[in-house]
Amino acid sequence: MFLQLLESGIAQGAVYSLVALGMTVLYRTTKVLNFGYGATFMFGAFAFYVALKILGLPFGVSVLAAIAFMLFVGVALSVVIFQPILKRPHLFTAMMTVAIANVFRGTTNFVWGGQVQPMPPVFKAPPILLGSVVVTSQTIVIVCTTAVIVMAFFLFFQFSEIGKLMQAASHSARGAALIGVNVPKFNAMMWAFATGVAAVAGILVSPITLLHPGMGGPILLKAFAAMAVGGFGSLPGAVLGGMILGISEQLCGGYISTSFMQIFPYLVIILVLLMRPVGLLGTQEVSRV
Amino acid sequence: MFNLTPVARTFIIAIIGAVFLVVTATECNGYVLFILALICANALMAIGFNFVIGFLGQLVFANTAFFGVGAYCYGILIFHFHLPFWAATACAAVIAGAFGAVVGMPALRIGGLQLAIVTLSVNELMHWIYVHSGSFGGGPSGLNLPVTHLFGPFGISLTSSRAIYIVVFVVSALFIWLAWNVMRSSTGRAIIAVGASPQVAGALTVSREAYTVIAFALSGFFSGAGGALFAFTLGRVAPESFGLTQLLFGFAVVMIGGLGTVWGPVLGAALLTAVPQFLSSFQGAEELIFSVLLVVLLLFMPAGLYGVVCRIWPPAREERHVGTPSLPC
Repeated sequence: MFLQLLESGIAQGAVYSLVALGMTVLYRTTKVLNFGYGATFMFGAFAFYVALKILGLPFGVSVLAAIAFMLFVGVALSVVIFQPILKRPHLFTAMMTVAIANVFRGTTNFVWGGQVQPMPPVFKAPPILLGSVVVTSQTIVIVCTTAVIVMAFFLFFQFSEIGKLMQAASHSARGAALIGVNVPKFNAMMWAFATGVAAVAGILVSPITLLHPGMGGPILLKAFAAMAVGGFGSLPGAVLGGMILGISEQLCGGYISTSFMQIFPYLVIILVLLMRPVGLLGTQEVSRV
Repeated sequence: MFNLTPVARTFIIAIIGAVFLVVTATECNGYVLFILALICANALMAIGFNFVIGFLGQLVFANTAFFGVGAYCYGILIFHFHLPFWAATACAAVIAGAFGAVVGMPALRIGGLQLAIVTLSVNELMHWIYVHSGSFGGGPSGLNLPVTHLFGPFGISLTSSRAIYIVVFVVSALFIWLAWNVMRSSTGRAIIAVGASPQVAGALTVSREAYTVIAFALSGFFSGAGGALFAFTLGRVAPESFGLTQLLFGFAVVMIGGLGTVWGPVLGAALLTAVPQFLSSFQGAEELIFSVLLVVLLLFMPAGLYGVVCRIWPPAREERHVGTPSLPC
């Protein structure tokens, strides 16, 4: 029982981590808190659905097409919408992401009318039995993809030249611009990264949650919670927070009660943040008068 | 018209409001009156929201919880305790204000995004409590409220949409007047000072802790009053009215109306409540049109609708920094 709950907790946690990761990348570099990320990955999943079911492309090509499409959407959002309002207060950009999310949701609602579309799983392999624990192939795919993306991001930010420049650009946009870094270009790239991750998350999640315009909301809230628990802006924090939430949620569902399970993550957040306001792996930001 | 005393200005606004009330109440049909009443309730909700995100400058998302607490308190007091309208509304606003003060406590320790998440969690917790409230709070299907009486069991009973509208309009006008005066009082100025710079405010002996809690309490009070009027207008309370959608709606009303103003949220509520009603003839596309409108408004009106009003007619600007600031305490 415990191991089985752990397995589904890890699967859930990996999804939260992946979504939290996409938001963290964006937050860390552009300081935009994306309240529209749920709708963004819903949109990515729909792009995949269009490529696979309507255009009839093969599976792998559809995945690439969906990701490419979302990369383009990310760049467009950055250049057309967010670059001009970058100087305005954070509340403003946050509101703009809400409005963009509504555009995404409105578009899918307009085309599909809010109906629930079934999605094929990524691989149709039978579940594996490890002792008494049943591991579904979807879990394996989700966990592996998340691990690969986390590693890729970590290596990219820590070791590559562009990654370091991006860190510089996010730390001080003016300073980076002075030494010749094209900050708007980097911001556009980060948007593309974030929306690309959103497409991957959407493709992975939609077989479980099914595909409908409102699928993003609940996961978005959990991903936010994961960011907060782990520490805003910290990539390992997002993964850790996501895992803690996913596992604690499943354990709560298994041992306490399933109706209590829906709010258990929020109790965890309130507790963690009241005891350690910067989150588990966050660093204190110093503000000067 | 440009150098009016505050009393004269209030008097003129009251006359304009009264004329508007009489004209709409006599000329409009029941559906329009219902929408107008909703606008009043939403405006109060957004004014409450603005106390924390506009004046105090904290990213707080608990206002749907305040709104919901107000609505549920009103509903429960009417349904189980058969209180008259005025008592239920007053109690709901006060209880929501107290709830706001309690929710404001974490803001003393945490700020920024962490506070946003904690208050978002409070919303979710409250939503869960509404759904699991059993027969007392109506559970998932909510409570259908009986016909209410204005002053007592034998007083005026409020059944027609016209009577409901008039009561909602007058009560929300009173609350807006109250909010306007609170924001011009030393308390309001202290809240703005704490929002602008807690350190400077602290150096001027304006307590960050005290005024943060006061701002949250006021926010709860006004949002709760809005919630009570909302429940009264709808005639029922149900959990689905107090979810994430309502939260984002409130956020949009404040941002589109004008952050950090009293009249901005009123304009925002009017626009954002009314526009979807007009769009309902575009089957299926209303959400898309509405959201594109939001994006355009945000891009081209950084100061919100009220900012546009002030640009066209400068005397409308809310003169909250004018006058000799008499520091509290």
